[in-house]
This record gives sequence, C-alpha cells and structure tokens, in this order.
Amino acid sequence: MSAQLPANLSAETVREISDARDEPEWLLEARLEALEALDELELPDVIQTPGRRWTNLEALDFESLVDPLNQADETTRESPEGVVVLPFTEALDEYGDLIEERFGSVVAPESNYLTALSAALFTTGTFIYVPEGVDAEDVKIRAEMNSRSLFSHTLVVTEKSSSVTILEAVESGDSVDDARYFSNLVEIDAGENSYVQYGSLQNLDEETYTYSLKRADADTYSTVNWIEGNLGSRLTRSDVETELNGEASETKIVGAFFGHDDQHLDVNARVWHKAENTTADLVTRGVLDDEARSVYEGVQDVGRDAWSTNSYQRENTLMLSDQSEADASPKLIINNHDTEASHAASVGQVDAEDLFYMVSRSIPEEQARNMLVEGFFVPVLEEIAVDEFRDDLEELIAARLR
Amino acid sequence: MATLEIKNLHARVAEEDGEQILRGVDLEVKSGEIHALMGPNGSGKSTTSKIIAGHPAYEVTDGEILLHLEDDDFGDVEIPDDARTWNLLELEPNERAALGIFLGFQYPAEIEGVTMTNFLRTALNAKIDEREELLFGEDDDEEAEEEAGYDTSPMEGNVDDGEVGVAEFQKLLKEKMDLLDMDEKFMQRYLNAGFSGGEKKQNEVLQAAILEPSIAVLDEIDSGLDIDRLQDVSKGINALRDEQGTGILQITHYQRILEYVEPDHVHIMLDGKVVKSGDASLASELEDKGYDWVREEVYEAA
Repeated sequence: MSAQLPANLSAETVREISDARDEPEWLLEARLEALEALDELELPDVIQTPGRRWTNLEALDFESLVDPLNQADETTRESPEGVVVLPFTEALDEYGDLIEERFGSVVAPESNYLTALSAALFTTGTFIYVPEGVDAEDVKIRAEMNSRSLFSHTLVVTEKSSSVTILEAVESGDSVDDARYFSNLVEIDAGENSYVQYGSLQNLDEETYTYSLKRADADTYSTVNWIEGNLGSRLTRSDVETELNGEASETKIVGAFFGHDDQHLDVNARVWHKAENTTADLVTRGVLDDEARSVYEGVQDVGRDAWSTNSYQRENTLMLSDQSEADASPKLIINNHDTEASHAASVGQVDAEDLFYMVSRSIPEEQARNMLVEGFFVPVLEEIAVDEFRDDLEELIAARLR
Repeated sequence: MATLEIKNLHARVAEEDGEQILRGVDLEVKSGEIHALMGPNGSGKSTTSKIIAGHPAYEVTDGEILLHLEDDDFGDVEIPDDARTWNLLELEPNERAALGIFLGFQYPAEIEGVTMTNFLRTALNAKIDEREELLFGEDDDEEAEEEAGYDTSPMEGNVDDGEVGVAEFQKLLKEKMDLLDMDEKFMQRYLNAGFSGGEKKQNEVLQAAILEPSIAVLDEIDSGLDIDRLQDVSKGINALRDEQGTGILQITHYQRILEYVEPDHVHIMLDGKVVKSGDASLASELEDKGYDWVREEVYEAA
C-alpha cells in the first residue's frame, strides 16, 4: 500500500536541495537512494481493530502537502559548554566523517515510505555531539515551521561516559493556508555508559499533519530516556523506539498527549531487549477532549539473548468527553524466560468519586476536574530534566483546560 | 450559631428503579454540639451524610435540608438578613461546602499528582470566594480566575492567586498539623496517595480544621483506627468543637470513639429513619442490648 509519489518530486529536486546546501557527495547519494526506494516502500503499519483502520495515512495527499523546494524554518539552538550543537548543514564541515558514519545507522532511511521521503528531502535538523566524559545539561532547540512542508533530521551521538539532557520544541510560525506536513526523524547513538534524555514537545497548529520517528541505539551500560509531548497538529503519528543493544542498557519512554477538537493522535512506544540485564519502562499518559481520537501501540520485545530482563509498560488515557475515542494495544513479546515484565493499559473518564471528594471541599467542579487532569500528567512531568520543558508542557496543558 | 435541619428526608438511589433508602429522616444539629448517629449496616447513615454533602448518586424524593446561619458563623463576615436560611438541596456540593458543610469520608479518595498543600489551599480560597458570592452575589472574579489559569502548577497550585497566600497558608497548615500530631512530610505528599487507613482519617480531620466548617458530618471516621490514632483523631474532633464551635454529626458503628468524643446527643437509625434519640447513655445502652432491642421497642410501640 505505497503512497503516490508526488509529481513535483524528482532526482532533480533532491539535487537542488543538496546543492543549495553544498553537501558532500555521500549525502546526496544517500538522499537519492532514499528517493529511489520510495517506489517500493510502504507506509508505516497502523493499528487495526475489527472494521476499523485507526490512522488513515493513505489519505494524506502528498502531492499538495509536500513542497520540497520552499521549506522554511526559524530554529534557535542553545548549548552548554563542551557539547556540539549545530545545524545539520554546518556540522558537515567539521564533523563530516562522523556524520557520514552514523547518519541513517539508527533510523534507516528505507524503514518505510515516510522515513525515505524525509531522508530525501530534509533541510533542517540538528547534530548533537557529546564528547567522552562531558556532562551537558539543557541543550535547547526551538524550531518554528514557516512553510507548507518541513523535513527535519536530528542526529545525537554521545561518547563513552558522557551525559546530556535535550529539549526539542517545534511550533508553527507564519501561517500558511491549507494543510501542512511536518516530518521529524531523530536518531540517537548512545555510547557506552552514556546518558541521554531527549525531550520533545510538538505543538504545531491544527492544520498540520505530523510524522515523527525517534529511535535510539543504546550501547553497554547506557541509558536513553525519551519524553514525548504531543499537543499540536491535526494528525500526529509518533513512534518512539529504543533498541537495547548493549548489556545492562536502560531506557524509559515517557509520553504525554492531550488532544481536543478533532485532533487525531497515533502514538507508539517500542523497545527491543537484545542483550542481558536490560531494563525498560514505558509510561504514556493521554487526555482526550471534544472529538479527539487516540490510538496507542506499545511493544516490549524481549529477544532470545536478553537474559535477566526487566520490562514494564503502562498506558492510561483519560477521556473528558463522550465523543472522544481511544484504542490502546500494549504488546509483550517474550523469547527469553528469564524476564520480569508487566504491561497494562486503561481508558477511562475522570473518576466520579475523586471529583466529588474535591467538590465537597468547596472546589468548583470544573476547577476540580482541571486539577485532576493536571495531576494525571504529573508522573510524566516528574520525569522531565529540562525545567523549561516541564514549564512549557504544564503551561500548554493548563491553557488547553481553560 | 448555625443549625443544620433535616426534615422528613426521603431519598433513593438515582437510577431507574433505584432503591428507596431514606424514609423520613428528621435531625437537627447545631454549632458546638456533638451528635452520634448510630445504626446497623444499611440503615441509611452513610446515605444521609452523602446527601447532606450533595452526592449525585442519590435523588431526594421528599423533605428538605436547611442550613440556618447566624451573625457570628463566619467570623467578621456579616451575613445579610436574606442570606441566613439556605435550602441545601438547591445548592451545588461546592456551594454547600462554602457555607460551612463538611463531609469526612469513610473512604477518602486517593488523588495522585495533587499535593496536600495545593489541594487544601485551593479549597480554602475557593471556599472564601464562593461564600462571598453566595452571601453578596459578587461575581466579578471570573476574569481573575481565567488569568490565574496560566500560573497554575500541579505541584504548588496558583502561586499568587486567592485570599490566602502560600506563606500564610503554610503557617496555618503547620499549626493544624501539630495539633493533630501529623508529620510535616504530608504537606508535600499527594492527596491520600499511599496513606495508611489511619493517616487518611487524620487527614479528613485536618481538612475540617483548615476549612473551619459550621457543621461537620464525619462518616465512620473511627473505623479501622488503632488506639493511638483514635486518640489523635478524637482530639482533633474535640478541638473542632471547642476551638471553632463546629457542630459534629458523627456516624459510627461503635461505642469506642464515644469514650473520647463524648456526644451530647445520640440518634439511632433503622430502615431509613431516625427511630430513637437520647443522650450519651443511649449509646452505652445500645452497646449492651444491641439493635434488636431498638427494633423491638420501635416496632412494638408502632
């Protein structure tokens, strides 16, 4: 079920993008390969329940959504001492060899139709490099999307025994009539005994269709923690994934979403345990109001060699209206018996007894409900290391409630 | 002095063919008095307490609940003449609370993500605002509420919102916690989350102490408490009466707590009605003779 290749998309377009950015030959080749692969590739899988295909990616009209030569964004990058945080293009001058080696090594451009499209056309994104032993806090990247379509590619490389906390926020700038498309690929190559927290806050306008795939390769004794916040977009497809490839590596995939009006959220968290003594904790909390819909898939895949695995997964969706809809599929695949694992999902409304308890203490019903919803997100907020990210997310949640 | 007056209260479960639970409850509780409401399981004690507070699961089919207020009930706040008698059944639960009704829950809700401090300060400020509005019809703080929304935080609450500021509230809370022998660590914990049964009950009394109700209805506040905790809770209840003049309606199965919180009046409920009232000696008599004695007496007389 591959999508129709946009007529305005050709090798010529890709060359033009690459030339304008004065890219090395290898990157142009990688883009062209991705472009070529489009013919054969499928859209990413979506959850299906009897009689229903939850997210209809086929309906996306790429021909009108994708305008490859007019991409525009305004991005600011704040970086503490000792860590390299550069726009992707600028980074090629100094870190070309490293980027050539790692680009596409975690998220293969040919993973699916949308990743290939992104790899062929990306014009923005960030390269983050944390040298051995460096501790860096509060890398902040704030992007504003100012065009019909925008493709972003971010690569994070952490060397041995380094650590970094990152916030990536994206919102809409100049308004464009009609629908828009935002694509965001993030790769993390976490070196031995390194620590990464990657926080992402997506608050694009509700004319935007967003596709995002973030994946980490966690080496021995490394920890990769993801915080994924989705409040914007008309449709969001978000996949956050960690491969625990190194012994004793760990990951947390923590997600928060809050949909309203007729927003559609397709959020997914996946972990592959591929080595001994690995630990994963997947926590997602979502709230839906009005006619918003959400679909969640969480996968814990414990491989044959993953002895002594710990793997936990919880997903809770809170519905604030009768018209909202949610589906959740937590999946546990175990190929090694030496595993401690749990998975659970729930979909429900604000608890009537909780609400009555608060109201009986003088708090007006709507305020009480809002406090309960804000409290519902606290387990996610508590995980966030970058203060500014926590403040922003709290503020957006509060604003949406009122 | 406030008076809670329950007259001929009939109520049923609010659903199709919902069971009739209350069949004519009459009861009057005044500020400064301690009443014990006793009765076997299913006699309608808890339902009575929930209906006073306005629980949506019940529908009142007959009778009324009135709250009469007098001059000194809200400290310095003057109560207009036309705002001295309230029909509680016409008010929302939060409005009833604002006028001084407090329900201590048998099973308090556990609420993750909302700290005690945030919850109680929000409640206290909401109570003051709502009471203003009910007494004087002021409704000009809507705008302020909307603005305040952006400064909110699940951890701390609206930092600069409300009558009672953070510092002032912390002081008040500490004072009340000392009285109840509660550890200060509770202040930053989430509301009842992970509290032991006894801690939850202590917390109910603490909330009453902060909100200073005119009438507190305490639903089985004594159940499941060890002796130390029972004494702490009892001390708290007596302080509500002695220091704030709160009227207490205490629902209990057991004589035990009445040794520490001596009631002025004891009422016995059977089959959805108050069938017998007396002084503290009625509770001891009941302990000796059991509910069958009451049942026989009541139905024979009828």
